[in-house]
Amino acid sequence: MALYEGIALIQEKQAVVLDLGTDYTKFGFTGEAAPRCIIRSEFWCTTERRFKRVYDYKTEEELYENLVHMLHRLYFRHVLVNPKERKVVVVESLLTPTLFRETLAKVLFTHYEVSGVVWADSPRLCALTLGTPVALIVSIGARDAEVAAVVHASVVLRALQSQPLAARAIHDELARLLDEDNGQELHLSDHIIEDIKVKTCFVGSRERAQQWADGEQPSPARSVQYPVAGRTAITVSGRTRELAAKPLFARDNELASLPDIVLQCIMQCPIDARRALAENILVTGGTAAMPGLKARLAHELRYLVTQPPYSSRLMVRTFKFHRAPAHDNACAWAGGALGGAADAAGTRATPRDVYARRRRLRDWVCLLDNTPPDHPHHAHQL
Amino acid sequence: MAYLTQPDYVKYICSCGQLKPITSLYFCRHCLKIRCGFCICHEVDSHYCANCLENMPSSEARLKKNRCSSCFDCPSCFHTLSTRATLAQPRQAAQDAAAGGDTKVENKQPKKMYYLSCFNCRWTSRDVGIPDQPVASGGWPERTNPFTTRMNQLLDYYKAIAQQEKQEKLERERKKFAIRGKYITLTDKTGLTGAMARNIAGLPSSDGGSSSAIANFVASQASEDVDELPEDIYTKEVNLKQITSMAQRLASPEWQPATVSRLHPLAKLLSVKRSQRCRACDHNLTKPEYNPGSIKFKIELLAYYHVPEVKVISFETIKPGEKSALLIKLTNPTGHEMQVRLLQPEDLPQPEEREEPKSIEKSLEKSLNLEKEPLPETVPDKPSGVRVPASSRVCPPSMTLSLPQRDDAAEYDDDAHHDTDDVILWRKSNKIALRLEVVTESTVASGVPANALLALEYSYRNTVPPPPTAGGTLAGTTPAPRDHTLYTTVLLDLGVVSG
Ligand SMILES: [Zn+2]
Ligand SMILES: [Zn+2]
Ligand SMILES: [Zn+2]
Ligand SMILES: [Zn+2]
Repeated sequence: MALYEGIALIQEKQAVVLDLGTDYTKFGFTGEAAPRCIIRSEFWCTTERRFKRVYDYKTEEELYENLVHMLHRLYFRHVLVNPKERKVVVVESLLTPTLFRETLAKVLFTHYEVSGVVWADSPRLCALTLGTPVALIVSIGARDAEVAAVVHASVVLRALQSQPLAARAIHDELARLLDEDNGQELHLSDHIIEDIKVKTCFVGSRERAQQWADGEQPSPARSVQYPVAGRTAITVSGRTRELAAKPLFARDNELASLPDIVLQCIMQCPIDARRALAENILVTGGTAAMPGLKARLAHELRYLVTQPPYSSRLMVRTFKFHRAPAHDNACAWAGGALGGAADAAGTRATPRDVYARRRRLRDWVCLLDNTPPDHPHHAHQL
Repeated sequence: MAYLTQPDYVKYICSCGQLKPITSLYFCRHCLKIRCGFCICHEVDSHYCANCLENMPSSEARLKKNRCSSCFDCPSCFHTLSTRATLAQPRQAAQDAAAGGDTKVENKQPKKMYYLSCFNCRWTSRDVGIPDQPVASGGWPERTNPFTTRMNQLLDYYKAIAQQEKQEKLERERKKFAIRGKYITLTDKTGLTGAMARNIAGLPSSDGGSSSAIANFVASQASEDVDELPEDIYTKEVNLKQITSMAQRLASPEWQPATVSRLHPLAKLLSVKRSQRCRACDHNLTKPEYNPGSIKFKIELLAYYHVPEVKVISFETIKPGEKSALLIKLTNPTGHEMQVRLLQPEDLPQPEEREEPKSIEKSLEKSLNLEKEPLPETVPDKPSGVRVPASSRVCPPSMTLSLPQRDDAAEYDDDAHHDTDDVILWRKSNKIALRLEVVTESTVASGVPANALLALEYSYRNTVPPPPTAGGTLAGTTPAPRDHTLYTTVLLDLGVVSG
C-alpha cells in the first residue's frame, strides 16, 4: 500500500472533506478549490437491489450500514485513497440530529479507522470563503433553508433560523403545478421533477409574483414540452416555470417565508452587528443556484424591511450580497477545504484515541461544551 | 458458483453477524473465521485506468488527481470517448496553390488531425469548439478552475493566521501566562478563529509579526447588485437540448457547466485494485496481481475454497404444523477429507473467545489499548451469534458425514454413487446429497417467508505454518498440518409458508 507514498508517510496525509448532504454528497481533499466529486447521497444496495438513500433509515443500525456503504463508495470509487490514518473534516449543519452525528463518528472512527475528525458547522465554513469578520449565511439546501449570523467567527446561536423551504418544497409545488398544467396526476419520479426544475424553472420577479397572486395574468414565459420516455410529452407552462419556487416566498401569519427568516435572524442579533450582517449576506446551497432566486430574495428583503413588523424594529435599509469563490452547492465544502488545509496539523480534530477513551462529541447544545472555561461551574467539577 | 441471477437461497452467517452468500465471503486462515466485506479492512492497492489498462503509481495518480491522461469520458452521456483522425489540408498550402504554387511538396501533404468523438451519443469535441489536435493522445486544452486564484489567496491567509496562532500559543505557554476566555470555547471548535478574531478585531497580535499574507489580504466585497434574471427570460424559447442535466453539471464539480456548449471532455477517473485484510489478525485475505489486465490474485482466501458449500436442490412447500422434505447438497472444496456433522444452531458450542456480544465501544477500546496485538473483530455491528428468526427447523441426522477431498479429475465421472440410506441420496466425488426433514410450527402464519437455520460442524486441515511462538519451533522441522473443528451456520431460503 505505502509503496509509493513515501512523502505521505513523512508528512501528514492530506485530509478529506466530507459534506453529506440530504441529496448530494460533496467529497474531496483539503486545500483544493473544488470537491473531487459531487454525487447523489445514495449507494447500490445489493440485498434490496436498488439505490438506497443514506438518509433513509429507521434505526441506528440501518444508518450505520448506510454510512459504511456510502463512505466505501466515496473512498474507493471516487477519491481513491485509504481512509485509514487520514483525517476527515465533516461539514455539518448546526441542526444535525445527534443520532446522525454520533453514528457518523462511530463509522469513521471504528469502521474506517480515520485518525481524526474535525466537526465543522457549515455557516462558519461558508464565512471562511469570504474572509469577512461578519457574514449572514443563507443556506438553501435540499430540505431546509437555514439562516445563521456569523459574527467574528461565532454563530449567533439564538438567532439561528431554519424552515423547510428548500428543494423539497419547490419539487412538491412543481409536481402540483405540472399536474394542473396537464390535467392529470403525473406521478413523476423525483429525478424527472428535479430535471424539469433544473432545465426550465426560474424565480420570477416580485412584481410579477404579485400580479399572479392578484389574479392578473402577466404574459407568461414560453411553455416547454418536456419529453418523458414511454409517455406523451409533459407540458410545462410558463406560469409553472415561474412559480415553482413560490413556497419559499409565500408569506402567512407565521412570518416563516425565506425573506422573513432572514430578517428575523438579523433582528435577533446584537444591535451593533445588524447593519454589518445586512451588508454581508451570502446566499448559498444548491437551491440558491436557481436562476433569479438571489435577485428575488434581495428585492423581497428590501421591500419587507419597510413593512411592519420590521419597519419599526429593524433600522437596516441596505442589503449587500457576497459572491463566494465556489459554486453554490459546494460553498460549505470549500470552506471546509480551506479550514482543513490551514489547520493541517489537525489541532482542532478529535483524535481517534481521544474518541475511544471518551466517546462523546462536542456539541453546542450541550452545557458541557458551551460553558466558558472561566465559568465558576468548572471549579465544581472533578 | 452460487446462483448468478437468482436470489441467494443459502446465506452464511459471517463471524460479524452479517448474512451473505458464500461467494461474497472470505475465510481467514489465521483466525479460522469467516469474514465478509463489512468486517474486513479494504485498502487501495494500485491505481489503473479501466479503459487503457495502464497502471499509474499512486504518487503520480495523486498528482494527476486520479485521472488518466489519455482517456476521456463523454461529458454528455459519460460513455468513453474515441479518438478520431481526419486529414486536414494545411491552410497555407491552399493559399500557396492560389498564389502560383512554387512551394515545397511536403507542405501539400495532408496532415492528420485528431478529435474526440462519442460513439454512443455522437457528441464530439468539435461541438464545443475545441480545436483538433495534431497528436493522437494528450495535448487537449486543460481548463483551470475559475475559483483557484481566490481560493489560494484565502488559503495563504488562513495558513498565515494558523501559523500566527500557533506561535502565540507557544509564546503564551513559554511565558506561562494564560489569557483565557476572551473568546468562548465555541470559537475554537472549528479552528482558525482565535487569531483570526484578534486580527479582525484589530487587536495587535502578541508579537506584532503579522506576515504579508495577512496584511495583504482583501476580504470579499459585498455589493448591492445580485445576479438578475436575463432580460429575455420571459420571451425566450427554451431549448431543452441546450441545457445540461444535473448529472452533466456535477460530472465536473469545478465548472458545473449550465449549457451544453460549455461541456468539456472528462478525463477518465482511474480505478483501484483493492486488497483486503482481516481486521483481527492483519493478514491479507486477498491481494490482486499488480498488472491491471490480470484478474488473478496473489492471495485469495475466499470462503468458497475453504468452507463446505451448502446448496438447496429442492424442497416441499412449507406448511404450518407439517413436515416437509428438503434436499440439499454439500460440497467439500478443500484438498483434504472433511468430516461434516449437521447440527441445530443452538447446539453450536460457544467459541471461547466469543465471551460476550462485543459492542463497538469495547472492541475499539481494546484495539486501541492493545495496539497491534491480535485484536478481536473491530466492527461487529451486530452482536455476533445473532439469532436470525427462522420459520422452520431442520431435523439434522445424527451421523457424521465424510466428504472426500476435491478431485478435479472426478468431475468427469458421470455415475453418482447411490446410497440406499434414507438420508444420503447420492455421493459423487467430494459432493453429497442429503434428504432432510423440515418441521414447521403450526403457529407460523402463512404468507411469511419460509426459512430455516442449519448449523454445520466440519473438520478443517490448516496448512498454514503456525506463527513462531515464544518457545520457538525446532528449526528445520516442517510443522505438521493442524486439524481443527470449525462451525458455521447457514440460513436456507425455503420460499413462502403456504396456507
Ligand atoms: Zn462479516
Ligand atoms: Zn486510460
Ligand atoms: Zn456521449
Ligand atoms: Zn484473521
